[in-house]
Amino acid sequence: MEKGFVENGFIIDLSNTKNTTQLVFELSSVMEHPEVKGKRICLKLGSQDLKQSQLLSIKALIESMDAEIAFIDTTSEQTEASAVSLGIIISKLGENVEVASYTASEQEIEEETVEVKEEALEQGSVEYEEKTVEVHAEIEREDVELISTIEGIEDTYTEETTQEISEIIPVEHFETDFESLAKSEGLITNEEMSKYIILDTGDVLPEGTEENTVDTKTLPTLYLNQTLRSGQTVNYEGNILIIGDAHPGSEIIADGDITVWGILGGIAHAGSKGNITAKVRALKLNAIQLRIAGLYARRNDTLNVPYVQKTNEFTPEEAQIEEGKIVIYKKLRRD
Amino acid sequence: MTGRVIVITSGKGGVGKTTTSANIGTALAKEGYKVVLIDTDLGLRNLDLLLGLENRIVYTIVDVIEERCKLKQALVKDKKNPNLQLLAAAQTRDKSAVSAEQLKEICEKLKETNDFVLVDCPAGIEQGFQNAVAGASEAIVVTTPEMSAIRDADRIIGLLGPKEEITSVKLLLNRVRPNLIKTNEMMSVDDVAEILEIPLVGIIPEDTGIITSTNKGDPIVNNEEALAGKAYRNVAQRILGEEVPFLDLDEPKGFVEKIKNVFAKLKAKV
Repeated sequence: MEKGFVENGFIIDLSNTKNTTQLVFELSSVMEHPEVKGKRICLKLGSQDLKQSQLLSIKALIESMDAEIAFIDTTSEQTEASAVSLGIIISKLGENVEVASYTASEQEIEEETVEVKEEALEQGSVEYEEKTVEVHAEIEREDVELISTIEGIEDTYTEETTQEISEIIPVEHFETDFESLAKSEGLITNEEMSKYIILDTGDVLPEGTEENTVDTKTLPTLYLNQTLRSGQTVNYEGNILIIGDAHPGSEIIADGDITVWGILGGIAHAGSKGNITAKVRALKLNAIQLRIAGLYARRNDTLNVPYVQKTNEFTPEEAQIEEGKIVIYKKLRRD
Repeated sequence: MTGRVIVITSGKGGVGKTTTSANIGTALAKEGYKVVLIDTDLGLRNLDLLLGLENRIVYTIVDVIEERCKLKQALVKDKKNPNLQLLAAAQTRDKSAVSAEQLKEICEKLKETNDFVLVDCPAGIEQGFQNAVAGASEAIVVTTPEMSAIRDADRIIGLLGPKEEITSVKLLLNRVRPNLIKTNEMMSVDDVAEILEIPLVGIIPEDTGIITSTNKGDPIVNNEEALAGKAYRNVAQRILGEEVPFLDLDEPKGFVEKIKNVFAKLKAKV
């Protein structure tokens, strides 16, 4: 696999990969590199046929690492069509430009190659930018329909769902699109894809408490403006509101709702006295365990984040019990 | 069934007690033995992270002691190997939440149904250490080839000596770097063993794979290729009574080094 340098970005050559699975894994192994953050990625995809959903997944993977796709280079018509419908720029990397292979020990070469790549990138993208704009305008209408019919991707951010609250699709499976791609390749099963998996704990409600549906709005609220660190516990007979992050190893236990205006990384137990209407919400819901009333769920092992991942990109989520399951909504809603 | 209770201790922090516990436990479980790992580092627990089990912990050792749950309920099964179970420490409490007697009782109960009970001891020689040692009949002292770690290991061996219940104390030398030993920048395995005067149970080479395996929550013994993983598997074999030779940690010699050696020999002859 070849990797090269472009202006504030990388060329990642995946044209030698045999199938989509290999492609994604090669790509994710490169994306793990800390230098990738904030960079523009140029993908050489060779003759790989990628469906729109698959390309969308790859895009999501790259964006999840705080990078963006600058353009892709492909010889496959299907991939090209998918890219056009997703508004991804297609370009040809100059054949005469040698892509310098990049390894950690070859850092010195960087400066020399940067200039060459810069040219290649600029030429390539300018040439094609016009083309994509044209084509894109034509299919724009179909585009909307297409996205909603993609199998396995529940896009809760589309306009329809934001307007009609009743139609929000519960995101029980936290499907980053990379996962649905992996699923289509048979790499992971349904159960492995859920963001949270119910723990079989037996009867865990404390003695003398029963399931109830007290309106959490009627409960008092504890307001905390601080970071909760490992080993710290907050326990309150009402709702808890935390302005700050709750680090892994911390515990928040509330009779009512738990709201974290920040990253929730520790354990959160809402409705700890059996209130099954209690909710947990956070700007980034990454709790190692989510507990609501007597229902305990562990974070999926595939989301292995042993430390708090500090981020400025927040994806507010809200968890609640529905039909004996913990369901996570990607949108905060009002009753 | 009466299992063996082995405490893994060191005195000094950061020498690899928890890594050692996780790896020996996993290696023994892979051999088909029933193993329970007990994390006694209350308030600074890590063993669950190394095994990737943090998200499964509902009850801790403190809940067992304060009778909020049964012992069996608090045991967390490993993801890969059901023979391996973890009794986690409480993160929100401190060492005083447990007494030596209570820990001893838990060890007694666990060894009835398991082949091995491995107790991961906290750093220091205070109550946490006294608790961890209470139920054990064997000890593995982990140290690195550094003066400070060796001094602390020596202190620990001295404290373990008078305890009648502990019948065997063995040494595990961690983070050995053969190239530094060669240039006399690091104490050799023989030097350390000579200073501490207890039998060696293992020599683990420094391995950057440990860092990734810790971050992934997957002990390095599960990696068939890693040298440290192999070394830990050998430790498990020795615990089981097998005689396994220590790994040859010398890296294969390069061409230049070979030539140097030839010249050195020639010089010696002259």
